[in-house]
Amino acid sequence: MAIYETVVILNSLLPPKELDDIIERAQEVIKENGGTIRSVDKWGKRRLAYEIQKKQYGFYFAIEFEGEGNLPLALQSEYNFNDNVLRYLTYAYDKHKIKSVALKQAKAEALEAAAEEPVKVAEEPVVEATPESDQKEQEEA
Amino acid sequence: MYKNKRSRNCPFAEAGIVYIDFKDEKLLKKYLTEQGKIIPRHTSGASAKMQRQLARAVKRARHLALLPYVSDFSR
Repeated sequence: MAIYETVVILNSLLPPKELDDIIERAQEVIKENGGTIRSVDKWGKRRLAYEIQKKQYGFYFAIEFEGEGNLPLALQSEYNFNDNVLRYLTYAYDKHKIKSVALKQAKAEALEAAAEEPVKVAEEPVVEATPESDQKEQEEA
Repeated sequence: MYKNKRSRNCPFAEAGIVYIDFKDEKLLKKYLTEQGKIIPRHTSGASAKMQRQLARAVKRARHLALLPYVSDFSR
């Protein structure tokens, strides 16, 4: 099992409902082929750095999932079938990405532990604990 | 112009970057020339390891139209 991410550019002129349909269908393909979805991220409408099929704008979305090696191929055939998909990229996480994810997680956990500790030691520094949790949220964002 | 600047330390190691994400266009743009070419590592000072990652990230970003293949319109 490897972790993959697929990023797709859709025709931004489609109504929002159809965009959601395509995103849902991609998720179904992943599930049908034995994958598990980790997160779905809609980037929204963005300006393209160059024209694709005479279009200046595209609607981006990304799905992070876990699965076997057959999944990228299954997604590819799904995307190729749909004319509203302008571009797609599916890639497996390499060791560097996995390392950076692990580092981020460790950092977040350390921050969480630091935020929890003063509350446990004494009840007074509750005021201190809140700005720390705010910081953590900002870093995550 | 950019060839005059030389730094010996890897800018990524100094910034504590382990992984170069292709979604981070702002970071990638620092390592592109005005025409959109990747700056060679003998000028940017990037380590071989990070330069390979950078090249891959830039190429992925170009494919997804986050970065231009060419951005030289003045001739």
